[in-house]
Amino acid sequence: MSLNPKIIELRQLLSERFPGARFSADAAARLHAVWPTGIAQIDELLQGGLPKSGIIEVVNGRKNSGSALFISALLKKGASENQIITLIDGQDSFDPGAFEKETLSRLLWVRCKNAEQAMKAVDLILRDRNLPLVLLDLALNPLKQLRKIPSSTWYRLQRIAESSSTIFVAVTPQAMVGCAQVRLNLHSRFTLEDSDTRQDELLDKLRIELAQYRLHLGDVLEEKAEAG
Amino acid sequence: MFAVVYIPNFFLQAALRHEPEWLLRPVALLNEETKLICQVTCMAREAGVGEGQTSTQALARCSNVFIRPRSVAQEISATEVLLECAYSFSPNIEATAPGICTLDLKGLAIVLPTFCRRNGTHDRLRDAVECVVLSADRMSAALWAEKIITQLAALNLRAQVGLAENPDLALHAAKVAQPFFLVENSSEFISSLPIESIEPPSEILDILRRWGIRTLGEFTALQKEKLVERLGAESLDLFDRAMATTIRPLNLVRPREIFEESIEFENEIETLQPLLFILRRFIEQLSRRLEFFYFVAQEIQLRLTLSSGENLERSFRVPSPTRNIETLFRMLQTHLETVQTDSSIVALHLAARPAKPEHFQFGLFETALRDPNQFYETLAQLASLLGSERVGTPVLEDTFRPDAFRMEPVNFESEGKFTIGNLNAENSAGLSLRRFRPSLPAVVELRENQPALLRSEIFSGPIAKARGPFRCSGNWWEQNKLWNRDEWDIETSNGDLFRVFTQNGEWFVEGAYD
Repeated sequence: MSLNPKIIELRQLLSERFPGARFSADAAARLHAVWPTGIAQIDELLQGGLPKSGIIEVVNGRKNSGSALFISALLKKGASENQIITLIDGQDSFDPGAFEKETLSRLLWVRCKNAEQAMKAVDLILRDRNLPLVLLDLALNPLKQLRKIPSSTWYRLQRIAESSSTIFVAVTPQAMVGCAQVRLNLHSRFTLEDSDTRQDELLDKLRIELAQYRLHLGDVLEEKAEAG
Repeated sequence: MFAVVYIPNFFLQAALRHEPEWLLRPVALLNEETKLICQVTCMAREAGVGEGQTSTQALARCSNVFIRPRSVAQEISATEVLLECAYSFSPNIEATAPGICTLDLKGLAIVLPTFCRRNGTHDRLRDAVECVVLSADRMSAALWAEKIITQLAALNLRAQVGLAENPDLALHAAKVAQPFFLVENSSEFISSLPIESIEPPSEILDILRRWGIRTLGEFTALQKEKLVERLGAESLDLFDRAMATTIRPLNLVRPREIFEESIEFENEIETLQPLLFILRRFIEQLSRRLEFFYFVAQEIQLRLTLSSGENLERSFRVPSPTRNIETLFRMLQTHLETVQTDSSIVALHLAARPAKPEHFQFGLFETALRDPNQFYETLAQLASLLGSERVGTPVLEDTFRPDAFRMEPVNFESEGKFTIGNLNAENSAGLSLRRFRPSLPAVVELRENQPALLRSEIFSGPIAKARGPFRCSGNWWEQNKLWNRDEWDIETSNGDLFRVFTQNGEWFVEGAYD
């Protein structure tokens, strides 16, 4: 049964106005659910924000491509909306000293020693279904560790994420999540002079490429139905 | 009207309450004070084992009889269970004896028999109506009793219920019930009871048997004065008990609302599985007991007694108080999977601290946890995977020392108050740092007091640009905690950005800017 367009419109309006609000988790609502990041480029590229119920892979090409800045922006945005943010830190590299206590108070920080631990932790957290924003940071993990993650693991995580409304962002040093709904490549190259720049200005300087954007099957069917 | 809930073989049932399957095997309960068997199961009785035998005599009659000692702790616990169950049916209850609870049914919405023979008058129409009412009443009273029996059965206690117009008569009814008996005609009922039911002293019982007195009806037919003449004043009390016409006042009690279960293991436990098996039964029992009072568990206290005499105690706060068996069990299971003891476990004690259930409705714009118990369960699993010091919320220490923070358990119950001012303050920071923990040892060559070359695990090569030194120090007032270092932000020849620092003449790479 299709929903009344007015209801969908109203829900979209409410989700934009109150991003922290919970709405009915019916399929139609979920398919259209996105979370605005506050990073103009990303919100523009992804038509509103990070999609829920899928894996978003952010590929950090270089050491200073801006993935930590991106994570920092998501943490602050989530905390400003009173969201609970989960950071699964694959190499225990997060620097809490750069954040205010209000941001940290909404953070669940899972400090892993290696990628294997991080994957086990993310599996537990995604199955929990309580947490709306899950960040997996594997940017500093050696490739030797990351290559040991079987692709089936990512498919399993995708299946779990699909059945919830969690936003799951995985930051990796190279593209490795074949089943990612969205893949963003970061190509920024910050310099020493950027140390004095405000973070909101640095976010504007982020160079982001949308490398992959897969539609949900529901979206495809909907589009076909509209075309038909 | 009164009801009596009677637990036959109470001591035995209490001892086997957490292992009810043993009731179907030959088991004898040993009173350790008298060293005699005090109660036996049906199977044991069929095999010739009986009360008053020594354990050797019992084993001689049945080699596979299982002899268990009486457990006072389990008897107390079973008494509590009985009273709690009874209290959920009537506010006026009496702990009459071990395994016997009397309930005053006054004011309860139970349809009870209305008939009685009124001074020998016979009204056919009224009798006919009363007969119809009686059959309906029997059903409703039986249903009421069945509820008690079912609830006690769920708590592994097999009960019998008797209903009568006074407590003593109800007790007689309960003892002969199978498993329910409603005394409709008290004089007929009492007359048919065996003389042993009023528990006369053995010498009087012998005399009565010699006289051929077998039932209470025959006993009361002898008349009070003549009995006193022949048997003495003691027979007065026996006569009153046999008549069972007086309504004695009940000594009312209230359950203590202490929810505890304990067991001393016959065989010491060395692995997790048997412990979890019993623990689940404990949780089931506690959950049902809490349900009688419409309570939920807000804290679970676990105590394991080891063969070395040591006690391992742990309290578990239930984030969202509940009596859900799965939730409470998982909480304990997750903890026990990480516990290793030096010696085997000989006893287990579990207690639940009750609380009134909280009912709340989630708001539309609320970001609280949907299922706090599931969340804390996940946290416990993460803590067992990584260690509790690696899961939580970071809290900054009140110091300028770099990377000074502590991990605290998460508490998302209180919503933070974020203001635009805070956001702006955070915007002032520059590039974000990814820390290497611990910092990587490095060799840095200086040219004109500026880092020019870096050799480390992460990068080796020339440094294109450097900013610094940023000098920082602290704790100068404490000799052993004094710290002092010079930091540099560097850009390597391949464009990577690092923070390096020197302390006590040694260089380290602290992190990478990203």
